[in-house]
Amino acid sequence: MNAAMDTICFENVSKFYGEVLGVNRISLKLSPGITTLVGPNGSGKTTLMNLMTGLVQPSRGTVSVLGLQPSNATEFFCNVGYCAQFDSFPRGLTGYQFVLDSLMLFGMSEEDAHALAAEALERVQLDAAAAHRNIAGYSKGMRQKIRLAQAIAHHPRVLVLDEPLNGLDPMARAESLALFQELGRQGMHVVISSHILDEVDRVSDRVVLITGGYLIAQGNIHEVRQEVRDKPMQLLIRCDKPDLLASKMFAVNHCVEARLHADGGGIFLRTGDVDQFYKILNEIAIEGAVKIEAVTPFDDNANAIYQYLIGSDGSTV
Amino acid sequence: MSVFEHDYKPYEGPTTALWKRPLVLARYGLSEAWGSKITIGLVVLALLPCVVDLVLMYLANNPVAKMLVVGGSKVLEVNERFFFSAMEVQCWLALVLAAWIAPRLVSFDLGDNALPILLSHPVSRFGYVLGKFIALVLSLSYVTWVPLLLLFLYQCYGSPVPWTFGHLQIAFGLFAGAAVWILVLSLICLAVSSWVKWRVIATGAIFAVVFVPAGIGGMVSAILRTRWGFLMNVPVLMSELWIRLLGMAPFGDPRLQFSSTAIFSVLIAVALLSVLVLNARIRAREVVRG
Repeated sequence: MNAAMDTICFENVSKFYGEVLGVNRISLKLSPGITTLVGPNGSGKTTLMNLMTGLVQPSRGTVSVLGLQPSNATEFFCNVGYCAQFDSFPRGLTGYQFVLDSLMLFGMSEEDAHALAAEALERVQLDAAAAHRNIAGYSKGMRQKIRLAQAIAHHPRVLVLDEPLNGLDPMARAESLALFQELGRQGMHVVISSHILDEVDRVSDRVVLITGGYLIAQGNIHEVRQEVRDKPMQLLIRCDKPDLLASKMFAVNHCVEARLHADGGGIFLRTGDVDQFYKILNEIAIEGAVKIEAVTPFDDNANAIYQYLIGSDGSTV
Repeated sequence: MSVFEHDYKPYEGPTTALWKRPLVLARYGLSEAWGSKITIGLVVLALLPCVVDLVLMYLANNPVAKMLVVGGSKVLEVNERFFFSAMEVQCWLALVLAAWIAPRLVSFDLGDNALPILLSHPVSRFGYVLGKFIALVLSLSYVTWVPLLLLFLYQCYGSPVPWTFGHLQIAFGLFAGAAVWILVLSLICLAVSSWVKWRVIATGAIFAVVFVPAGIGGMVSAILRTRWGFLMNVPVLMSELWIRLLGMAPFGDPRLQFSSTAIFSVLIAVALLSVLVLNARIRAREVVRG
């Protein structure tokens, strides 16, 4: 398959709403799998998603989704499933009708639409009795589920989910994340924006950090973390002699901080040169003076990257 | 890290023709409009004058009944004038119905932010408006040209003398006059509803959009001593148009008798303005960014 036919491509894309900047000069290539958009409120995540789903047109640049342009509406929209962040539904419908009518808008025959609606509701684990109730009476979690069912029902190749975990209880969040993981594994493009970084971090293949309409970083979480060189990386090393390990590590100048773990069975270390650090750690392990049980990157996650690159106030650091 | 199995299967079954998609929205719209008891009540009320017309037609066509009730008066003659009155009543009741239904079709979607969801389907903004437009036009048809043509058919059936072929223009006038009105009215109502998210305000705004320019036009005509201000008076223009379509002789204030070109120009301008408003307001963009 041609690479462009399997990627979501933004080429120098800008979007302005009058004088208000949506996003500016975004160039991105997203492969199949799970991509998480990370950024503070008003950073342009929803604009990026609206561009991806063809709901708004770029002021400059081009967006292509699996080689398709939004101008080719029939094919484009049939390949994209969108779950909006707003708790918004056409009024007066039951959950089942909502999914069914959505499928018929995609051009499915009534027979196919019934089969696909039932399949989608089963995938999001919304029981049949609830599906035939009016959406107005749904809980927030059920509304999220029915939105998700609507987005996946027509078997799109690209699934764009704006804050899909909002309002879900921990159990429902875990189920949703498992579903995203399954779809990502199967080769679907799943693009998620979420503020629940800890959870999406576990399932994401890559992150796209955006703030103020500008792209800050993109790529695999670990790769992005390694690029943030001005922030020493923090690691937790579980070993039998943490004090000895600390003294050995302080002998090298890239190790800037060492802190004993509360249980005394490990040590937190900050290093400015991870490659050198691992090399020295290997040498220490071979010497046998310290028995190393586990090495865990402690700030190698979306949350830490968000803090380092964007900061808690939403401005770039 | 995900392991890509690449075994995800997109839907590859048959799909319906593109032109059928707005019909799903029309069905949505019809169920939304007719799901309210108030809609049913308004339609029943709007059909009551037709029942009165039926009784009058029965009396006019039955010599014995006519003699007994009105003593053979010419007041009860079923002619162009009779159908003109019936048409005026039905078309203005259609305005009341439209002012109730249209905000339910559009304002709710805008207020609920449902447009991004609907427009992320292979349905264009034009398709969305077309679906709502079809729903509104069909709903208004129930109280305008459909009952009016049924009245015409009843007269054809009930008249004791050959009547139909001499009065075919009435049938054409009823259909064309009502069609022009409900098409323009539907566009106005959808445009106003797309502008005002709050349904109650939208209903009031629809009446205002029809009648306030009429008042302003009257003032302009009085101040400037011209008759052209009356071109802003849609009720007057429609009455003039219906008179012509029904083949009646002109009557009333001669200052209000504009040329057909002037009448159609104003109606087309109103329709275009409504389309511009719809184009500006019916957008998938979400207001809140985040």
